[in-house]
Amino acid sequence: MVDRWLTPGLCALSVLAIFAACLLGSTAMPIERVFQAFIGGADEADRLVVWTIRLPRALAAFLTGAALGISGAALQGLLRNPLAEPGVLGVSASASLTATSALYFGLVAFNPWVLPFAAITGALIATALLAFAATRTQSVVTLILIGVGLSSFSGALMSLLMNLAPNPFSLADMINWMLGSVANRSFDEIGLALPFIGGGVALLLATRRGLSALTLGEEAASGVGLNLQHQRIWTVLGAGLATGGSVALAGAIGFVGIVAPHVIRPFVKHDPARSLVPSALLAGLILVIADIFVRILPSTNELKLGVVAALIGAPAFVWIAMQRRAGHD
Amino acid sequence: MTDLIVESLSLKAGDATLVNDASFKLSPGELVILLGPNGAGKTSLIRGALGFQALVSGSASLGGQDTSKLSPIERARQIAYLPQIRPLAWPNQVHDVVSLGRFSHGATLGKLTGSDAAAVDRAIVACDLTHLAHRTTDSLSGGELARVHCARAFASEAPLLIADEPTAALDPRHQFRILDLIKSYVSNGGGALLVLHDIELAARYATRLIWMKDGQIIANGPPAETLTPERISDVYRVSARIEAGRIIMDGAL
Repeated sequence: MVDRWLTPGLCALSVLAIFAACLLGSTAMPIERVFQAFIGGADEADRLVVWTIRLPRALAAFLTGAALGISGAALQGLLRNPLAEPGVLGVSASASLTATSALYFGLVAFNPWVLPFAAITGALIATALLAFAATRTQSVVTLILIGVGLSSFSGALMSLLMNLAPNPFSLADMINWMLGSVANRSFDEIGLALPFIGGGVALLLATRRGLSALTLGEEAASGVGLNLQHQRIWTVLGAGLATGGSVALAGAIGFVGIVAPHVIRPFVKHDPARSLVPSALLAGLILVIADIFVRILPSTNELKLGVVAALIGAPAFVWIAMQRRAGHD
Repeated sequence: MTDLIVESLSLKAGDATLVNDASFKLSPGELVILLGPNGAGKTSLIRGALGFQALVSGSASLGGQDTSKLSPIERARQIAYLPQIRPLAWPNQVHDVVSLGRFSHGATLGKLTGSDAAAVDRAIVACDLTHLAHRTTDSLSGGELARVHCARAFASEAPLLIADEPTAALDPRHQFRILDLIKSYVSNGGGALLVLHDIELAARYATRLIWMKDGQIIANGPPAETLTPERISDVYRVSARIEAGRIIMDGAL
């Protein structure tokens, strides 16, 4: 019963949360004025606040969360490990590294679109590497270790760039990107990330059935008719595209890709394939709510969304890791 | 008629020869049991025969087609494969795990269509899992879990079945139950190849025994012809005698 209402319920809650994000902010706006602004009435200032500030920001938070949630759920199904996530596999870190490099070398000055393209390039390089490794190794542990290596290496290079940052302004820019935020996002930026997120999500949804079979382990999954190599390549590529798109939009936001699928799993009978859509919706919802919290919190410096996500997500990560039974590799 | 035909199959891992020049055939209506000590190459032979591992030489064909060239779906429709039991990644429902046996027929969990649902129901009834169908697999005993895996194999309704140690770590009663299930699958027209370590149990159920030692098949025939104290001594390196139809092993050689 619960599983039938899970997806529609999460859809409704997401719409509500995005609407609430338009109401709330440094100055709360009454519901009727937001409605007016939505349908094009109200005064110009209200329309400006809703259409160019609050709505794109809320949508960016939702899209980022959804991309990370579905990527996390799919990678967990592929690697049969509840701790797998774009972050663990080094995809987020690689995307952040290329984005930070574009900032450091001033490439962004030539064209504002360089930054998102750099992030997507980084994610695709990482996924291509992982996809290549996936065709050569049978071992899930090897794949995770390659991800850890990628992640550490990107982290080291990123620290190097910050270490060498020429002035406090570029340092601040880089930190912004590393910490993750959806502040000041516009529909243009969403439009650039959307094709990648959409393509990745479509790939993951189209190949999700194989994730159910992987529950049995790789050899038995292959025994019931799954083409393991194809499954690995499509899942890694789909997760790479979606994650690259999300980093392009909001920088590196960790842990939401672990937390959302973990919450969803018991409601979908622990079937990885059925966890994809609800995990995407829940992760999107979590980030929209977290971003509302970030905006209404009375602090002198606005908290970064990625920091809030990590503050909630990192302890959850440790807790999930401690729940693992010894029998599971 | 679907036959698995293995001819002069050899497999290596690096320089070590795992299987050397092995030939055998598996047809519907047979219950073949593969015997041999640890490291004899039983699992490697199965993996090579199924096309999971590249052959050094020889061939393996299923219904006339080279198994290494079959797509996983084509292979799964002709042969159900139960590797040595590993823990399931997630605590899925029994019904869902059995449903995965229909994967090669396009079944999607939670949305089984008529013929898939019927095959799953039949397998659940055959393996006496009806009362457990909605339990999660992490709440089952070893014997129950072994029956779930059998049901998953039967649900595919493939003409052949290969199971690697399906009775490992089960008590005697559950070993008998699993072998009874496989025996009834064979009497309904299936062909099964099992790896077992219990020689008496193998002799009781098998229509044919394949004996392996050091990567080679050294005997292949009905229990009455191939089961001798000398062979047990040779293959397992234990002193053995057969008295009044009972196999008695006295110790390691």
